Amino acid sequence: MMQGNEKRTNCISLLLVFLGLGLALALMLLPLYSFKAGIYTKKSSNTFVGDEKYREVRAEVEEIAEEYRAKGHNVEISESVTERTNSKGETTSLVAFSIDESFHKSILSFANAGLPSSAALLVMLAAMGAALLAALAGTLPSITKNGRALTGGQAALRDLSCFASLAAMISVPVFVLMNNSLFWRKISLYAQDLLTEGKEELYAKLDGFLYGGSMGEEIGDALKHVSCEHSPLVWALLLCFAVSGIAAILLRYGSVKKKLLRVALYAFVIVVCVITLYPYYVMFITAFRSNAETLDMYFLHMLPTKWLWGNLGDIIKRGVPGFLFNSVLIAGGATLLALLCGIPAAYAMARMHFKAKKFFLGFVIMSQMFSPVVLIIGISQLMNVMHLNDNILGLIFVNAAFNQAFAIWLLRGTFVSIPVEMEQAAKIDGCGTVGSMVRVLLPMAAPGIVTTLIFVFINAWNEYTISTVLISTASKRPITVGITQFSSFNMIEWQYLFAASLLATVPVVVLFMCIEKHLTSGLTSGGVKG
Amino acid sequence: MKQKQSWKPYLWLLPSILLISVFVIFPIVIVFRLSFSEISKSGVVGGFVGLKNYVEAVHLPAFGIVMKNTFWWVISVVGLSTLIGFIIALALNQKFRGRKIARSILIFPWATSLVIQASVWNYIIKYEYGSLNNTLLNLGVIREAINWRASYQIEFIWECACGIFVTIPFVAFCVLAGMQSIDESLYESATVDGAGFFSKLFRITLPLVMPSLTVSTVLNIIYVFNSFPIIFTMTKGAPANKTDTMITFLYMLSFYDRKKGPANALSVIGFLILCFCAGIYMLTMLRKEEDL
Amino acid sequence: MKRLAAGFLAAVMGASMIAGAVTTVSADDPIELDVIICQYGPNTNEWFLGSGMDGSNFVEKFEAENPDIKLNLDVVSWNDVYTEVDTRIANNDAPDILNIDVFANYANDGLLLPVSDYCPEDLYEDFFPSFIEQSVIDDTVWAVPDLASARALFCNVDIFEEVGIDYPTTWSELEDCCQAIIDYYDGEVYPWGIDMTTDEGQAAFAYYTWGNGGGFVDADGNWAVNSDENVEAIEYALHLIDEGYTNPNPATQTRYDLQDMFAAGKLAMVIAPNQLPTYVADKGGDINLVTVNIPAADNKESSSVGVMDRVMAFKDDSAPDQDARNEAIGKFLSFFYDPENYVGWVSMEGFLPAVNSAVEALVEADPSFEAWLDVLGGCQFYPTAKAEWDQVKQGVIAAEQNALTGASIKDELDALQAELEQ
Repeated sequence: MMQGNEKRTNCISLLLVFLGLGLALALMLLPLYSFKAGIYTKKSSNTFVGDEKYREVRAEVEEIAEEYRAKGHNVEISESVTERTNSKGETTSLVAFSIDESFHKSILSFANAGLPSSAALLVMLAAMGAALLAALAGTLPSITKNGRALTGGQAALRDLSCFASLAAMISVPVFVLMNNSLFWRKISLYAQDLLTEGKEELYAKLDGFLYGGSMGEEIGDALKHVSCEHSPLVWALLLCFAVSGIAAILLRYGSVKKKLLRVALYAFVIVVCVITLYPYYVMFITAFRSNAETLDMYFLHMLPTKWLWGNLGDIIKRGVPGFLFNSVLIAGGATLLALLCGIPAAYAMARMHFKAKKFFLGFVIMSQMFSPVVLIIGISQLMNVMHLNDNILGLIFVNAAFNQAFAIWLLRGTFVSIPVEMEQAAKIDGCGTVGSMVRVLLPMAAPGIVTTLIFVFINAWNEYTISTVLISTASKRPITVGITQFSSFNMIEWQYLFAASLLATVPVVVLFMCIEKHLTSGLTSGGVKG
Repeated sequence: MKQKQSWKPYLWLLPSILLISVFVIFPIVIVFRLSFSEISKSGVVGGFVGLKNYVEAVHLPAFGIVMKNTFWWVISVVGLSTLIGFIIALALNQKFRGRKIARSILIFPWATSLVIQASVWNYIIKYEYGSLNNTLLNLGVIREAINWRASYQIEFIWECACGIFVTIPFVAFCVLAGMQSIDESLYESATVDGAGFFSKLFRITLPLVMPSLTVSTVLNIIYVFNSFPIIFTMTKGAPANKTDTMITFLYMLSFYDRKKGPANALSVIGFLILCFCAGIYMLTMLRKEEDL
Repeated sequence: MKRLAAGFLAAVMGASMIAGAVTTVSADDPIELDVIICQYGPNTNEWFLGSGMDGSNFVEKFEAENPDIKLNLDVVSWNDVYTEVDTRIANNDAPDILNIDVFANYANDGLLLPVSDYCPEDLYEDFFPSFIEQSVIDDTVWAVPDLASARALFCNVDIFEEVGIDYPTTWSELEDCCQAIIDYYDGEVYPWGIDMTTDEGQAAFAYYTWGNGGGFVDADGNWAVNSDENVEAIEYALHLIDEGYTNPNPATQTRYDLQDMFAAGKLAMVIAPNQLPTYVADKGGDINLVTVNIPAADNKESSSVGVMDRVMAFKDDSAPDQDARNEAIGKFLSFFYDPENYVGWVSMEGFLPAVNSAVEALVEADPSFEAWLDVLGGCQFYPTAKAEWDQVKQGVIAAEQNALTGASIKDELDALQAELEQ
């Protein structure tokens, strides 16, 4: 009975693989891509229907259309007239003529066109073939076997079938997007001479693909106004490959739910990572563009045409290393101070009993409720009185103070999570409260302390508003303020702004990645006991 | 014995109290004083004027919309970043290949200065030459450049999205830390009892992660309420304060409109609102944790 | 409350000692001048503090020539300069010399020194008189101009020739041009640029209202922001936006965005300052451009818009020797406006000069300056000498932006006028 069941599952799965791939092939043969080529267009302003200029242009256009018809093109002439009455009561008129030709292509016909999308299509076809053959070869010898009992070779073949289906699935959007970017954009950029590189070659290929090579020299005109539409049915290919893929998973594992969840998990994580990394990708590529390219309104190049590594050199000359050094001083000093003040306080909160505990907690949290932005005037007045204006030390104090709440909260949680017995043992051995704290508690609390350290460091590193006001000497500015010289409202030098941002971001990101492991464990002890 | 030591804890707290008092409380006192004083346009402080600044602040034409924006800003950024952060933490808590890399990547937004983040996003969604249009056009996803900031409502949504983007890692890691401290055996016995994914989620994960989530949420609310660079970099509150939150609004009020008295009054109002929210939180939380 | 604060302060005074920031003042010390300069362009910082002045910089050269004066010069971005200055004023720590656009608030609060107290006679005579007039309140001159720029309409010649239309001189012609360009390019080129942003929305107000015989003030110099001419003018601007003749996001696209669009050939017309050709060239743009008068309402006169920034000196009652301080400020100004330094600075920033002595050298370097100086002669300026200018500036920007989101411009301007008359 079991065997019969498995045989049936396998047969159905194999059939589904066939069905999915077969349907896909059928779709590829349908004329899903339609093209409309404006072989020739002519706009004539100040032209009225029926007047001399109109007749002149019209005759010209018809002549050209005849030429094309003679060559066997099925062309039509269309005209559109825009008439307006202007402020002086005069009528103006703009006449636009165009000679159009429409035709359809199947997906499969792209295969030997030599276009970028042809490669994607070939991958898709290869993957389909592999999926089919692997499924057959992996199943037919022992059609009754499911899942883990397979021999190594059969399992590998069935795995291959799964992955080949996945590859075919992925190549569908790649194929469509490549066509979109070529026919929606690239061609018109070539036509406007905004792009020139590789134009001849591409035009020759398109002539061969669209017109069978009959256009020759005139291909430039023919491609000026080509439009390309694809039927939504193209996306049904995805569905077909999904069917074959699921069937292949069924063949390999006997059930699909767990594997599909796995695929969904990977898909989700990949999407999250892509979105997260996108701003950094932007920062990176923009940092090495030329200024003109950062403002490219025709979106000509996805990546810099020339990587200007010299941008880094330019910003270094404009004082960025000094700003970074100041930031390190400020953030480092603030972190140290915040910990020096925070550790005893957190210790008292965790280990001692006293009446005003809740009051102190309220006091600390309340101290966080004013944004530094709001307190600018007060802080700067304070700094004046203390003669800490335009002084990095002042920023260290302010940053440390504004991070007390966070530091105390995290550290207290860490201390609470460490059993008090250890310290008591140390006390019996003759250590005082301070001694037992330094020798026993702090080493054990290291992850929590590291976490706090990072938090305070990052917050201080990112502080902007107070530094703007307190620091007036250019050489004392931290990086967050330093980069504003590239982005004042009267001119933004995006490439320098992002190059400096890159320099400011990379060290912190590396630091964060190094302690990522400690981070979660530190937060565990700090957070859960809240 | 305990009574003898009663002064000792305060000694331990002293450095912290001193630091906070001088560098935070003192400026707060100044802001309170300024909110009751006449202040000239260029910042010269005059005499006591009672509640005049408060009355003026509340009657500013933009006051209503700014309060509304602030509400939505805090609710959406804190709410959605908590929700999404939680889901991401759930995913990252699974064992899968590349998990370490994924976690490292997720840290990026946290480790980047807000000013920089805001500038990058500002560049990304520029209509005329922004990166998003560049990427999508060159990949063939869209046919023509899209005006990503067609109206101020949409711009405000972008600002919230950017706020969510930078807040997610903080939440996700707090939750992740909470999840990792949960004993595996709890899940195993639940599985034996036939509990499904969702019943495990609601019966075990959520209650045990709650404490770390609550504290991080309160700090989050304060940080998000006080967040300044995103909105200031992306729109400066334009058009006509319709994308301002309280912090950017009172900054503009003080240094662009030069209405410094009402700006200080608004700061105090914002402070009171936060105090009220945090007060409610502390009452409920502290009651639970009697032995703190 | 003060005593409480003092208590806190005493507790941390020790910390400040560590910083070593407490300095004692003795009579022999050089006079220190705190100077704040606004960042006009990417090279401002280099010129004043780096090596942008033939390998040296302004501060070094000045201190070499005046060893008894020490400059604490700070170049501040326009984004932050108001914050920094206002905060310093609130703390009785105003800079000694400030370069900024406005001055009325500082003068009205009694913070500024009259120019006559410190400006050497021959330098004072050198300023364009029409510029000096812009900095007068109650018959006292409170600031001197440091530079100016004049604005005109720039048109993309190639677009106009392609479409086959003439440059507009009146509002109705402008509309025809816009429609023709839209028709011809199917909306791929924006005909007209409008900037109603928080950065510079008051400029848009000036372009349209001055072109319709209105303006910020009436003939007697009283605020008249809600005049019929003004309402009509702004309604016209809003009409251009509604018709789709303009850039799509007027509330957030700054003049620099518009200039970038113009440089890319995506915008046919933009009102911009005289530096635009340089700006376009710097951006790698290859635009065939022409300057014409800003179009005015039919049967009204076109008016060009001038923008001027200033240098002013603050009082400092704590200075031990007021005369020596005034003299030092005078030396700073003389050194700054010395053609040897000033010409280099003005041409680097691409602005128009404010003193006669610089004109000759500048015209020699760039003949197009002459035409611009003529334009400048006939320019109207913002009424920056009036105390409520900040309020009016922010008010008209808010009114425009509210109108962009559907409010009635008349109601908005009426409300602003009522607020001003209170």
